Amino acid sequence: MTNRIAWLAAALVAATASPALAHYPYCTCAIEDGKVACKGGFSDGTGAEGVTLDVISYDEQILVPGKFGADSVVRFDKPAGEFYVLFDAGPGQVVEVDWRDIDGLAP
Amino acid sequence: MSGVKVKTNPHAGLPGGRYRWRFHLSALVLVLPFLYAPTFFQEEAFYFGDAGLGARELPEVSVGPWTVRIAEYSAGAPIAQGLAGPMKRFAMRLTPESARSIKASYMKIGKPRSLRAAGVVLSGGPYRQVADVPIPERTRSDDALWLTVEGWDGTVHQAAIPLDEASPATIMWLKQRGETR
Repeated sequence: MTNRIAWLAAALVAATASPALAHYPYCTCAIEDGKVACKGGFSDGTGAEGVTLDVISYDEQILVPGKFGADSVVRFDKPAGEFYVLFDAGPGQVVEVDWRDIDGLAP
Repeated sequence: MSGVKVKTNPHAGLPGGRYRWRFHLSALVLVLPFLYAPTFFQEEAFYFGDAGLGARELPEVSVGPWTVRIAEYSAGAPIAQGLAGPMKRFAMRLTPESARSIKASYMKIGKPRSLRAAGVVLSGGPYRQVADVPIPERTRSDDALWLTVEGWDGTVHQAAIPLDEASPATIMWLKQRGETR
């Protein structure tokens, strides 16, 4: 009997639990073999294929225009000077990574 | 047949008879809605906006020609969202005049570098829009929540709300986490 109640409770919990539906963009960069490698994606597990990733200098010049491929990674040579990486999946769907936040590049 | 001992039902005459546990279970099912009703109506009022814009409403903010009202959606600490990092939800309401001329609004912790990097877009109807604002790793307690508003006429206006006014819970959380690098 206790077993049956436990099953009923479990079924109730399973029926009312709702999975997280949010898909927040993310982008993390690190130094790999002397190059900067940025991995992008969405928190629901979706990759970033086709999403724009631009490397922009502090004075707003686009240094490296890029796009994610099927592996959701963009690699580029470290630009001279201060810059930030902008993961741009559309207006309001952006992630900014400052060069100081790149693993292995921190001053 | 006198040797057969008839087992008497100990529950005979009681509610539910010999299916007593089922009886109690169905009684519980009938009681549950009453137990959950207050919570349900509170949440309903919150989600439909009858209980206000959010848990903590801030004073009116002027952004260029427009006036908006911002609220901390829930009063708690930022919520971790896996790889995307911790997020704090804010809600915003436009005045009817502003609603006609505002195209989009964005929120970001720290001053945006450009309109393209203005942060997270607020989504929802004009009288209750929400955005989950990421809290960057290097956020400090003297940072501000920047609101960037873009009008249909192409003009862009910004306003900064100190983080300790926008969300004291986030400041508390930052202090607990230890200020960053």
